Amino acid sequence: MFNVPQERAVPFGCVTPAPIGEQPMMRTGNWREFRPVIDHEQCNLCMNCVVWCPDACWQLSENEEEVVWNSTYCKGCLICVNECSHDALTKAYELDFPDGVVRLEKPF
Amino acid sequence: MAKEMTLSGCAASAQAVKMAKVDVICSYPIRPYTAAMMELAKMVAEGELDAEFIHGEGEHAQLSVVYGASAAGARTFTGSSGVGVTYAMEVYSPISGARLPVQMMIADRALDPPGDFGSEHTDAMSCRDQGWIMGWAESPQEAFDNHLINYRIGEDPRVMLPQFVCQDGYFVSHIPGKVLIPDQAQVDEFLPPYNPGKHVLDPKQPVSHGPQIRPDQGAIMDLQRAEAFLEMPKVIEEAVGDFNRIFGRHYSPFVEEFLTDDAEIVFFIQGGHAATARYAVKHLRERGVKAGLVKLRFVRPFPTTQVAESLAKFKGVGVVETSTSYGGSMRGGNLLVEVRAALYDVPKRPLTTSFMAGLGGDAVTLKDFYWMAEILTNAVKAGRVGKTVYWAGLEQAVA
Repeated sequence: MFNVPQERAVPFGCVTPAPIGEQPMMRTGNWREFRPVIDHEQCNLCMNCVVWCPDACWQLSENEEEVVWNSTYCKGCLICVNECSHDALTKAYELDFPDGVVRLEKPF
Repeated sequence: MAKEMTLSGCAASAQAVKMAKVDVICSYPIRPYTAAMMELAKMVAEGELDAEFIHGEGEHAQLSVVYGASAAGARTFTGSSGVGVTYAMEVYSPISGARLPVQMMIADRALDPPGDFGSEHTDAMSCRDQGWIMGWAESPQEAFDNHLINYRIGEDPRVMLPQFVCQDGYFVSHIPGKVLIPDQAQVDEFLPPYNPGKHVLDPKQPVSHGPQIRPDQGAIMDLQRAEAFLEMPKVIEEAVGDFNRIFGRHYSPFVEEFLTDDAEIVFFIQGGHAATARYAVKHLRERGVKAGLVKLRFVRPFPTTQVAESLAKFKGVGVVETSTSYGGSMRGGNLLVEVRAALYDVPKRPLTTSFMAGLGGDAVTLKDFYWMAEILTNAVKAGRVGKTVYWAGLEQAVA
C-alpha cells in the first residue's frame, strides 16, 4: 500500500486538536515574504493589531506592557501594519533577518 | 405497517429525509427541487419532524450551514437544482475533505444558457469530481430509497463522505408515482443514528476544522479520499444487500440490467429517462430487435468492473448522455468517456457510441430510442460505429 512520510501526515478530515493558543500542526509562518516589525517606543497599545490579525498572531504580553508577535503562524499579510494607529509597525523583507524563512520551505 | 402512497419525487425525498430523522435542514428556493423543502418545512412546522430548519441566504450558505452542522455531529440535509448547484461549488470539496457525510438532494435543472427550467444532468455532473458520492434515481420510489441508502453509505466509518442524491427534475421530481413507505422500525434497523466519532465539535475537547495545510500535504488529503472511494464498493454492496433484505426490494448495487439475457444492443443510461427506455426496449423486442437496458445507479464511485462485465456481453452499446462536456474526447457527454475507459482492458469489446438526449429538459421519447436502436443495429451490421456522438432528434439515423 501507500507509504506516507510522517512529516507529511494529515489527520483524518484535517481535524486537529485545538488547545488554546497554538498547536504543532498546520504552521503557516513559512508563507511570509514580509514580516511586521514593531517599534515599542511608538506603540501606545491601541490593540488594533491584536484585533485585526486574522490569525491571532499579535497578543498582549502577560504583564500587559507590550504586544508580542507570533513568528510561527504569521503569514505576513501585513494587515497589522495597515491598521496600526501610531505607525509603530513597519514591513520588512523576510530574508533580511538571520532567522528569515524561505517561502513554503519547511522551516520548523 | 408499510403503506403505499402516490408521491412526486420531491415529496418522496422529503418522506425519506423525515424517516432518516435528520437533525438540520438548510433550504434555499430554486425549482424544481424546492418542492422537497416545502414538504419538509411543513413537517417541521406541524411537529412531525424534530429538526432545525434553516433558511440559507443562497446555495453557498446552504452548504456552509450543513458543513458546520455536520461537523457538530448532526445528520444534515440540503438540496438544490441547476445554477443553485453550481453556485455552491466552492463548498463541495471542503466538505468531502473534512470527511463530513452531508447529504444533498439534486433535482436536475439545465444550467442557464441564458434561462431554462428543464431537466439536464450537467448541473450535478459538473460536480462529480469533488469527492462526493453521486447517483441517480429513476422513480420517486428509487429516490426515496436512495436517500436512505446514501446516508448509510456516507456515514459508514470506512467512508465518511458526502452524497449527491440525484433525480431528474420534473420527470422524476414532479411526476407522482407509487412509493412504498416502510415502517419507521425498518428504517431504524437499516440506518442507525449518525456517529461522528472523534469528529464532533465539543467545547470540552476543542478541535480545529478546516485549518490550512502545506502544499506537500495536499496529495495526502487526496490520497485519503481516493482510498475511501476504493473501500466504498464493498460498503455499497453491504448497504444495498441490507436494504433489499429489510425492505424487500431487489436493487443491484451498481448496474441494473433489464431484458439483457439474449440482447445484442443495449442502452446504457442513468436517471429518469430509463423509465421510457424500458418501454422502448419492450416495443423493440416485439419487432424482433434484440434490445436491452443497462442502468447505472452510481456514477461516483464509477463501478468500473461491473460496467465492464455487464457491457462486454453485448455487440453494441448506446450510451444515453443527459449531460454535456463540450470539447471532451467523445465530443458529447461524460458517460461514454467512462464507459470506454471501463471497457479498455476487456479482450472482446462491444461497439460503443453515445446519444445526446434530454438536454435542456427535452423529453426523450420512444421514437428517440427507436432511432438510437436503428443506429446501433446498423453499427453492429457494419462492424463499426460511424462516430462517437449523435444528437437525438437533430440528425438522421445513419451509422
